Amino acid sequence: MYRIKATIRFLHAWRHPDQIAREVERELRFHIEMRTAANIESGMRPSEAQLAARQSFGDFHRFKTECCEISRTLPFDSTVLKMAMYITIAVLAGGAALWAVNMPHHNFTGVLWQLIAIVVLARSFVVGRRAISTKQFQGHHSSVVFVTDDERFREDKGFLSDVCEAHSVGIAAHDEQGRTPVERMFN
Amino acid sequence: MSKSKAGLLQGTLDMLILKALSLGALHGYGVGQRIAQISDETLKIEEGSLYPGLYRLERRGWIESEWDVSDNNQRAKFYKLTRTGRKQLILEEQNWERLAGATMKALRAS
Repeated sequence: MYRIKATIRFLHAWRHPDQIAREVERELRFHIEMRTAANIESGMRPSEAQLAARQSFGDFHRFKTECCEISRTLPFDSTVLKMAMYITIAVLAGGAALWAVNMPHHNFTGVLWQLIAIVVLARSFVVGRRAISTKQFQGHHSSVVFVTDDERFREDKGFLSDVCEAHSVGIAAHDEQGRTPVERMFN
Repeated sequence: MSKSKAGLLQGTLDMLILKALSLGALHGYGVGQRIAQISDETLKIEEGSLYPGLYRLERRGWIESEWDVSDNNQRAKFYKLTRTGRKQLILEEQNWERLAGATMKALRAS
Protein backbone atom coordinates (compact mmCIF):
# COMPACT_ATOMS: atom_id res chain seq x y z
CA MET A 1 0.00 0.00 0.00
CA TYR A 2 2.79 2.41 0.92
CA ARG A 3 4.43 1.82 -2.44
CA ILE A 4 1.30 3.07 -4.18
CA LYS A 5 1.17 6.14 -1.93
CA ALA A 6 4.88 6.72 -2.37
CA THR A 7 4.59 6.45 -6.14
CA ILE A 8 1.71 8.93 -6.19
CA ARG A 9 3.71 11.32 -3.99
CA PHE A 10 6.77 10.86 -6.22
CA LEU A 11 4.77 11.63 -9.38
CA HIS A 12 3.18 14.61 -7.66
CA ALA A 13 6.64 15.89 -6.68
CA TRP A 14 7.78 15.58 -10.29
CA ARG A 15 4.71 17.30 -11.69
CA HIS A 16 4.61 20.10 -9.12
CA PRO A 17 8.16 20.81 -7.96
CA ASP A 18 7.29 24.40 -6.98
CA GLN A 19 4.48 23.27 -4.72
CA ILE A 20 6.76 20.76 -3.01
CA ALA A 21 9.43 23.43 -2.56
CA ARG A 22 6.85 25.78 -0.99
CA GLU A 23 5.64 23.04 1.36
CA VAL A 24 9.18 22.19 2.44
CA GLU A 25 9.94 25.86 2.98
CA ARG A 26 6.78 26.33 5.06
CA GLU A 27 7.70 23.32 7.18
CA LEU A 28 11.26 24.51 7.80
CA ARG A 29 10.10 28.06 8.57
CA PHE A 30 7.63 26.68 11.09
CA HIS A 31 10.54 25.00 12.85
CA ILE A 32 12.54 28.24 13.00
CA GLU A 33 9.49 30.13 14.29
CA MET A 34 8.97 27.57 17.03
CA ARG A 35 12.62 27.74 18.01
CA THR A 36 12.51 31.56 18.00
CA ALA A 37 9.45 31.53 20.26
CA ALA A 38 11.19 29.10 22.63
CA ASN A 39 14.29 31.30 22.70
CA ILE A 40 12.19 34.39 23.50
CA GLU A 41 10.47 32.43 26.25
CA SER A 42 13.84 31.60 27.73
CA GLY A 43 14.65 35.31 27.98
CA MET A 44 16.31 36.30 24.69
CA ARG A 45 15.45 39.50 22.82
CA PRO A 46 13.47 38.83 19.60
CA SER A 47 16.33 39.71 17.26
CA GLU A 48 18.76 37.54 19.22
CA ALA A 49 16.21 34.75 19.44
CA GLN A 50 15.73 34.69 15.69
CA LEU A 51 19.44 34.74 14.99
CA ALA A 52 20.05 31.92 17.46
CA ALA A 53 17.19 29.93 15.92
CA ARG A 54 18.67 30.29 12.44
CA GLN A 55 22.09 29.30 13.70
CA SER A 56 20.89 26.21 15.50
CA PHE A 57 18.90 25.21 12.42
CA GLY A 58 21.93 25.23 10.13
CA ASP A 59 21.99 25.83 6.39
CA PHE A 60 18.33 26.45 5.50
CA HIS A 61 18.78 26.29 1.74
CA ARG A 62 20.86 23.13 1.83
CA PHE A 63 18.27 21.29 3.90
CA LYS A 64 15.43 22.62 1.76
CA THR A 65 17.16 21.45 -1.43
CA GLU A 66 17.93 18.08 0.15
CA CYS A 67 14.28 17.56 1.15
CA CYS A 68 13.05 18.53 -2.34
CA GLU A 69 15.53 16.13 -3.92
CA ILE A 70 14.44 13.26 -1.67
CA SER A 71 10.81 13.96 -2.66
CA ARG A 72 11.81 13.60 -6.30
CA THR A 73 13.73 10.36 -5.77
CA LEU A 74 12.20 7.12 -6.96
CA PRO A 75 10.27 5.60 -4.03
CA PHE A 76 12.04 2.26 -4.37
CA ASP A 77 15.47 1.23 -3.26
CA SER A 78 17.89 0.36 -6.01
CA THR A 79 17.82 -3.24 -4.75
CA VAL A 80 14.12 -3.44 -5.57
CA LEU A 81 14.74 -2.02 -9.02
CA LYS A 82 17.55 -4.50 -9.51
CA MET A 83 15.27 -7.34 -8.48
CA ALA A 84 12.60 -6.18 -10.90
CA MET A 85 15.20 -6.02 -13.65
CA TYR A 86 16.47 -9.53 -12.96
CA ILE A 87 12.94 -10.95 -12.82
CA THR A 88 12.24 -9.36 -16.19
CA ILE A 89 15.43 -10.84 -17.62
CA ALA A 90 14.53 -14.24 -16.13
CA VAL A 91 11.08 -14.16 -17.72
CA LEU A 92 12.57 -13.13 -21.08
CA ALA A 93 15.20 -15.88 -20.80
CA GLY A 94 12.51 -18.43 -19.98
CA GLY A 95 10.49 -17.28 -22.98
CA ALA A 96 13.55 -17.51 -25.20
CA ALA A 97 14.25 -21.04 -23.95
CA LEU A 98 10.71 -22.13 -24.72
CA TRP A 99 10.98 -20.59 -28.17
CA ALA A 100 14.32 -22.36 -28.73
CA VAL A 101 12.91 -25.75 -27.66
CA ASN A 102 10.02 -25.40 -30.07
CA MET A 103 12.20 -24.48 -33.02
CA PRO A 104 12.37 -27.07 -35.90
CA HIS A 105 16.18 -27.42 -35.66
CA HIS A 106 16.56 -27.15 -31.94
CA ASN A 107 19.29 -29.68 -31.28
CA PHE A 108 22.19 -27.26 -30.96
CA THR A 109 20.52 -23.83 -30.74
CA GLY A 110 17.87 -25.10 -28.35
CA VAL A 111 20.44 -26.54 -25.95
CA LEU A 112 22.48 -23.35 -26.15
CA TRP A 113 19.45 -21.20 -25.39
CA GLN A 114 18.43 -23.46 -22.54
CA LEU A 115 21.92 -23.21 -21.05
CA ILE A 116 21.84 -19.42 -21.30
CA ALA A 117 18.38 -19.39 -19.73
CA ILE A 118 19.53 -21.61 -16.83
CA VAL A 119 22.54 -19.38 -16.17
CA VAL A 120 20.44 -16.21 -16.25
CA LEU A 121 17.75 -17.77 -14.04
CA ALA A 122 20.34 -18.96 -11.50
CA ARG A 123 21.97 -15.53 -11.49
CA SER A 124 18.58 -13.84 -11.01
CA PHE A 125 17.84 -16.15 -8.10
CA VAL A 126 21.15 -15.38 -6.38
CA VAL A 127 20.87 -11.62 -6.89
CA GLY A 128 17.20 -11.64 -5.91
CA ARG A 129 17.95 -13.46 -2.64
CA ARG A 130 20.80 -11.10 -1.86
CA ALA A 131 18.60 -8.10 -2.60
CA ILE A 132 15.88 -9.36 -0.25
CA SER A 133 18.29 -9.98 2.59
CA THR A 134 20.14 -6.67 2.15
CA LYS A 135 19.85 -4.49 5.20
CA GLN A 136 18.03 -1.38 4.09
CA PHE A 137 18.43 0.85 7.13
CA GLN A 138 21.30 3.14 6.27
CA GLY A 139 21.37 6.77 7.28
CA HIS A 140 23.51 8.80 4.92
CA HIS A 141 25.18 10.80 7.63
CA SER A 142 25.12 11.13 11.36
CA SER A 143 23.90 14.51 12.55
CA VAL A 144 23.47 13.51 16.14
CA VAL A 145 26.13 14.53 18.57
CA PHE A 146 26.76 13.09 21.95
CA VAL A 147 27.50 15.75 24.54
CA THR A 148 29.79 14.81 27.36
CA ASP A 149 31.92 16.41 30.08
CA ASP A 150 34.38 13.59 29.88
CA GLU A 151 37.76 14.87 28.73
CA ARG A 152 38.97 11.32 28.11
CA PHE A 153 36.58 11.23 25.22
CA ARG A 154 38.43 13.99 23.41
CA GLU A 155 41.62 11.98 23.76
CA ASP A 156 39.93 8.80 22.52
CA LYS A 157 38.52 10.56 19.51
CA GLY A 158 42.03 11.14 18.20
CA PHE A 159 42.71 7.54 17.32
CA LEU A 160 39.29 6.01 16.94
CA SER A 161 38.03 5.37 13.45
CA ASP A 162 34.50 6.32 12.41
CA VAL A 163 33.36 2.76 12.85
CA CYS A 164 34.54 2.74 16.42
CA GLU A 165 32.73 5.89 17.45
CA ALA A 166 30.27 3.68 19.29
CA HIS A 167 33.20 2.94 21.59
CA SER A 168 33.17 6.49 22.89
CA VAL A 169 29.45 6.25 23.50
CA GLY A 170 29.98 3.02 25.37
CA ILE A 171 32.73 4.42 27.59
CA ALA A 172 31.85 7.99 28.17
CA ALA A 173 28.11 7.95 28.33
CA HIS A 174 27.26 5.09 30.61
CA ASP A 175 25.17 5.79 33.67
CA GLU A 176 25.49 4.10 37.06
CA GLN A 177 23.98 0.91 35.57
CA GLY A 178 26.39 1.01 32.68
CA ARG A 179 23.80 1.96 30.06
CA THR A 180 24.50 4.30 27.13
CA PRO A 181 22.11 7.23 26.41
CA VAL A 182 20.47 5.31 23.59
CA GLU A 183 20.08 2.22 25.74
CA ARG A 184 18.49 4.38 28.42
CA MET A 185 15.96 5.54 25.87
CA PHE A 186 15.04 2.02 24.90
CA ASN A 187 14.88 0.50 28.36
CA MET B 1 34.18 21.90 32.41
CA SER B 2 34.02 22.15 28.64
CA LYS B 3 31.72 19.89 26.72
CA SER B 4 33.07 17.83 23.86
CA LYS B 5 31.02 16.49 21.01
CA ALA B 6 31.22 13.53 18.69
CA GLY B 7 29.19 12.11 15.86
CA LEU B 8 27.44 8.79 16.40
CA LEU B 9 27.23 5.85 14.07
CA GLN B 10 25.52 6.23 10.72
CA GLY B 11 21.82 5.51 10.89
CA THR B 12 21.55 6.69 14.49
CA LEU B 13 19.54 9.75 13.54
CA ASP B 14 17.00 7.66 11.64
CA MET B 15 16.67 5.28 14.56
CA LEU B 16 16.20 8.14 17.00
CA ILE B 17 13.52 9.70 14.82
CA LEU B 18 11.67 6.38 14.71
CA LYS B 19 11.96 6.08 18.47
CA ALA B 20 10.67 9.61 19.04
CA LEU B 21 7.70 8.98 16.77
CA SER B 22 6.91 5.66 18.42
CA LEU B 23 5.66 7.71 21.35
CA GLY B 24 3.12 9.59 19.22
CA ALA B 25 2.69 11.86 16.18
CA LEU B 26 4.88 14.96 16.12
CA HIS B 27 5.98 17.78 13.84
CA GLY B 28 9.67 18.11 12.98
CA TYR B 29 10.41 20.57 15.77
CA GLY B 30 8.68 18.25 18.24
CA VAL B 31 10.80 15.31 17.09
CA GLY B 32 13.98 17.22 17.91
CA GLN B 33 12.58 18.26 21.28
CA ARG B 34 11.53 14.74 22.13
CA ILE B 35 14.89 13.23 21.24
CA ALA B 36 16.62 15.78 23.49
CA GLN B 37 14.08 15.10 26.23
CA ILE B 38 14.23 11.31 26.22
CA SER B 39 18.02 11.31 26.10
CA ASP B 40 18.20 13.75 29.04
CA GLU B 41 19.61 16.42 26.70
CA THR B 42 22.59 14.18 26.03
CA LEU B 43 21.91 13.74 22.32
CA LYS B 44 21.57 16.93 20.33
CA ILE B 45 20.62 17.12 16.71
CA GLU B 46 21.61 19.70 14.16
CA GLU B 47 18.03 20.84 13.81
CA GLY B 48 17.84 21.28 10.06
CA SER B 49 19.27 17.84 9.40
CA LEU B 50 16.19 16.29 10.97
CA TYR B 51 14.16 17.11 7.88
CA PRO B 52 16.11 15.20 5.24
CA GLY B 53 15.99 12.34 7.75
CA LEU B 54 12.22 12.62 8.05
CA TYR B 55 11.77 12.78 4.27
CA ARG B 56 14.02 9.77 3.80
CA LEU B 57 12.07 7.73 6.32
CA GLU B 58 8.80 8.76 4.74
CA ARG B 59 10.08 7.73 1.33
CA ARG B 60 10.88 4.29 2.77
CA GLY B 61 7.38 4.01 4.15
CA TRP B 62 8.46 3.90 7.78
CA ILE B 63 6.68 7.11 8.67
CA GLU B 64 3.83 9.07 7.09
CA SER B 65 2.89 12.71 7.27
CA GLU B 66 -0.08 15.02 7.08
CA TRP B 67 -0.66 18.74 7.53
CA ASP B 68 -2.58 19.67 10.64
CA VAL B 69 -2.95 22.52 13.10
CA SER B 70 -0.37 22.71 15.86
CA ASP B 71 -0.86 23.78 19.49
CA ASN B 72 -0.13 27.39 18.58
CA ASN B 73 -2.78 27.33 15.82
CA GLN B 74 -0.32 27.22 12.95
CA ARG B 75 -0.38 24.72 10.17
CA ALA B 76 2.37 22.15 10.64
CA LYS B 77 3.33 18.85 9.07
CA PHE B 78 2.89 16.01 11.55
CA TYR B 79 4.67 12.69 11.21
CA LYS B 80 3.65 9.35 12.60
CA LEU B 81 5.11 5.87 12.55
CA THR B 82 3.68 3.29 10.16
CA ARG B 83 3.38 -0.39 10.94
CA THR B 84 6.48 -1.07 8.83
CA GLY B 85 8.29 1.67 10.72
CA ARG B 86 7.41 0.10 14.04
CA LYS B 87 8.80 -3.25 12.87
CA GLN B 88 11.92 -1.51 11.60
CA LEU B 89 12.42 0.20 14.94
CA ILE B 90 12.31 -3.15 16.74
CA LEU B 91 14.87 -4.49 14.30
CA GLU B 92 17.11 -1.49 14.78
CA GLU B 93 16.85 -1.71 18.56
CA GLN B 94 17.96 -5.34 18.37
CA ASN B 95 20.84 -4.44 16.06
CA TRP B 96 21.90 -1.62 18.35
CA GLU B 97 21.80 -3.85 21.42
CA ARG B 98 23.88 -6.46 19.62
CA LEU B 99 26.42 -3.86 18.55
CA ALA B 100 26.61 -2.23 21.99
CA GLY B 101 26.86 -5.64 23.68
CA ALA B 102 29.60 -6.82 21.36
CA THR B 103 31.54 -3.57 21.76
CA MET B 104 31.30 -3.68 25.54
CA LYS B 105 32.34 -7.33 25.54
CA ALA B 106 35.37 -6.48 23.43
CA LEU B 107 36.28 -3.57 25.69
CA ARG B 108 36.01 -5.63 28.84
CA ALA B 109 38.14 -8.42 27.47
CA SER B 110 41.35 -8.67 29.38
